[in-house]
Amino acid sequence: MGYFFHWLDRIFGIKKPHRRFLHRPIPEGVNYFFCLGGIAFTLFIMLLASGLMLAIYYVPSESEAFASIVRINNEVRFGWFIRSFHKWSANLFIVAILLHTIRVFVYKAYRHPRELNWVAGSLTLILAFASGFTGYLLPWDQKAYWATEVGTSMARTVPLLGPYLCYFLRGGEDITGVTLIRFYAIHVLYIPLFMCLLLWAHFHLVKQQGVKGGL
Amino acid sequence: MLENTSKLNRRSFLKKVCNLFSIIGLFTAMVLYLFYVFPKHVRKKKVVYIYVCEEDELPVQGVKQYVIDYPQYGKSVTKKIFIVNTGKELFALSAVCTHLGCLVSWYRPANRFRCPCHGGQYDIMGNVVAGPPPAPMKRLSLKIEHQKVNIGLKM
Repeated sequence: MGYFFHWLDRIFGIKKPHRRFLHRPIPEGVNYFFCLGGIAFTLFIMLLASGLMLAIYYVPSESEAFASIVRINNEVRFGWFIRSFHKWSANLFIVAILLHTIRVFVYKAYRHPRELNWVAGSLTLILAFASGFTGYLLPWDQKAYWATEVGTSMARTVPLLGPYLCYFLRGGEDITGVTLIRFYAIHVLYIPLFMCLLLWAHFHLVKQQGVKGGL
Repeated sequence: MLENTSKLNRRSFLKKVCNLFSIIGLFTAMVLYLFYVFPKHVRKKKVVYIYVCEEDELPVQGVKQYVIDYPQYGKSVTKKIFIVNTGKELFALSAVCTHLGCLVSWYRPANRFRCPCHGGQYDIMGNVVAGPPPAPMKRLSLKIEHQKVNIGLKM
């Protein structure tokens, strides 16, 4: 294993640019609350992995979606496990991001020169919420349907643009198969893509500016 | 004392433990993935006999085309086959061209099967005469039971 990695690294040179990030000095006053961002990132990777597996059996269609979920739960080997894994990772992901945000806020790590990183983090939080919202519709059962009905109706309350926003989200006047495919595409393509870009920016800024020390 | 005699200090020990756990985790995930992705119900295809026509409807000499319908995966599938009687031999041929899977048709004036897509030609025995097909037409097993003609398809 080590031999293989050394051979790969000699050609690819992946270790050197990461050395400054992985072996950087850590300031005084750091405690275990500084792990929350890393925990969130670990959960993100777990979500990506389990999501890739779910995508193999999930069918994003009006008539098939619920049946495919039942199939994943009851027929596919360890399907119940992967689905629960995805669900619980998603819940904990939101929790971890929120706790991480509180930690950053308490330690005043959002202040200059780290203001841009706060923005990147906030966008990640919004994307995480959006991912949770779109993912909630995908089982296509009563709970999912009515949750989305309520959620998209909220967009209606925006002054002037409200109804248009609602139609935009639903892909029509009501929640139909069009909404399902729309949410599926957002959940599995758009959000992971932008999330990866944002996280890259987030980590790049941490590398650039270093970790803000204790209070 | 200990640190001087062995190379295994606290830091490298923790590193080794971390590596071990990562490798165990990755390995478990890989096995789980394979189990998850591999289809649960895999059965070997077996030959199923499908009714084509009555025995007295068979060609006395030459080639006759049949279109048969049968259910597969809950849907009706249509298949075109030929039954050939050379006078010496009676056999069934699949109409699927062995080149790229178009359906060939029997062209009587030339005594040949011709494929409309890329001009593949087969003789009455199903052997390639001209064109790109790499193999002769596929023979299907033919069974006559109680004056009823059945062909065997792998399903």
